[in-house]
Amino acid sequence: MNVEAYISSGILEAYALGELTGQERAEVEKNLALYPALQKELALIEETQEKLLMNAGVQPRAAVKAKLFATIDARKPEAKVVELRKPESSLPFWRMAAAASIAVAIITSYLAFNYWNKWKSTENSLTELIAQNQRVAQDYNTVNQRLDAIEKDLKITNNPAFNRVVMKGTPNSPGSLASVYWNESTKEVYLSIQEMKELSQQNQYQLWAIIDGKPVDAGVFDGNFAGLVKMKQIPSGAQTFAVTIETRGGKASPTLETMQVVGNVVKG
Amino acid sequence: MEYLYDHYSAALLGVVARIIKKEELAEEILQDVFLKIWDRIDSYDASKGKLFTWMLNIARNQAIDKTRSKEFSKSKKTDDIENLVSKVDRQDYTELQVEGIGLQEVLKQLPEEQRFVIDHHYLKGYTQAEMSEEFNLPLGTVKTRMRLAMKELRNLLKIT
Repeated sequence: MNVEAYISSGILEAYALGELTGQERAEVEKNLALYPALQKELALIEETQEKLLMNAGVQPRAAVKAKLFATIDARKPEAKVVELRKPESSLPFWRMAAAASIAVAIITSYLAFNYWNKWKSTENSLTELIAQNQRVAQDYNTVNQRLDAIEKDLKITNNPAFNRVVMKGTPNSPGSLASVYWNESTKEVYLSIQEMKELSQQNQYQLWAIIDGKPVDAGVFDGNFAGLVKMKQIPSGAQTFAVTIETRGGKASPTLETMQVVGNVVKG
Repeated sequence: MEYLYDHYSAALLGVVARIIKKEELAEEILQDVFLKIWDRIDSYDASKGKLFTWMLNIARNQAIDKTRSKEFSKSKKTDDIENLVSKVDRQDYTELQVEGIGLQEVLKQLPEEQRFVIDHHYLKGYTQAEMSEEFNLPLGTVKTRMRLAMKELRNLLKIT
């Protein structure tokens, strides 16, 4: 901006004369803040104006001053209260304080109730979540145990030292099917059921190994299990494995008529 | 506040009286002006000009508002303006002569054109726009003359 031209335009005089619109004033004030030269010029203009008008004053009559200050004094209490409240105004103050306290109490109660409700529902949600969490943990444990079991079973079924003996259904129960995993050197026997009939409470299945034509007890089991179940140890020499139905607890010698499945050991 | 009144009431009444041209009404307005100053003193911003300028603008606006009100235009018709102007400068009021400088003496030293704008603005209460309209002068000319007059007055009043 050309400061000289701006000054020469007489706008600062118009500003000092109070003849600008609000927008023009704002503009001038903005420029004043930017250019110190304008401030200096304006100060000179204002000073000239002040001196001129101070020299052209008209003294008001004394009554005017008295009346003015009487008016100001009368307005003082509500208009320009700077000091603190005086003692005589203490009653309204306490009334205000009491009203304020009650208002605060009501608001606080409402908020307390509101928060209590929220807390309550939060607590319910939390209980639900904890229960859910426990269920998930249990499921996880179950799955994990099951996985462990399967891994263990897999080690056995994949171990070439274990000989798998498939026992097929006899005419008594053509649909039945079960397998024995037998480690001849460690004598370990594991049983896995593919399909066996449900038994009554009084009866149990009994696994037999036939060694040199003689049945040897390999342990009892119930029909309903998954995976492998460890049975009694069977020494080497077994040629055949078979399952019969016996009374609960098993017997010393098999009831051959109830034989369910049977299978021969296939070497190698 | 009392200091402001003692110091500036005469200058402000001079401004108001030249616009209003009626002694009692001008004094009434002066009272309103000081009440306004009292109410708004908090909003005075020294970065936007001198305190006197701020008060002067309140006084001028208050007086000009009054001239535009119905009450004023009625009473105006009943009086002869020329009489009132001279009345203001007459013995009812005491025109102050601060520092021994007679205002008229100072104004006489201004070139005619410049004295005209100063006289009409400060002593007769015209705005620049009113001068331009009434005396058929371009507003720019009025402004320029005002500017030159203010510069000249600066010298005459020995303001540096």
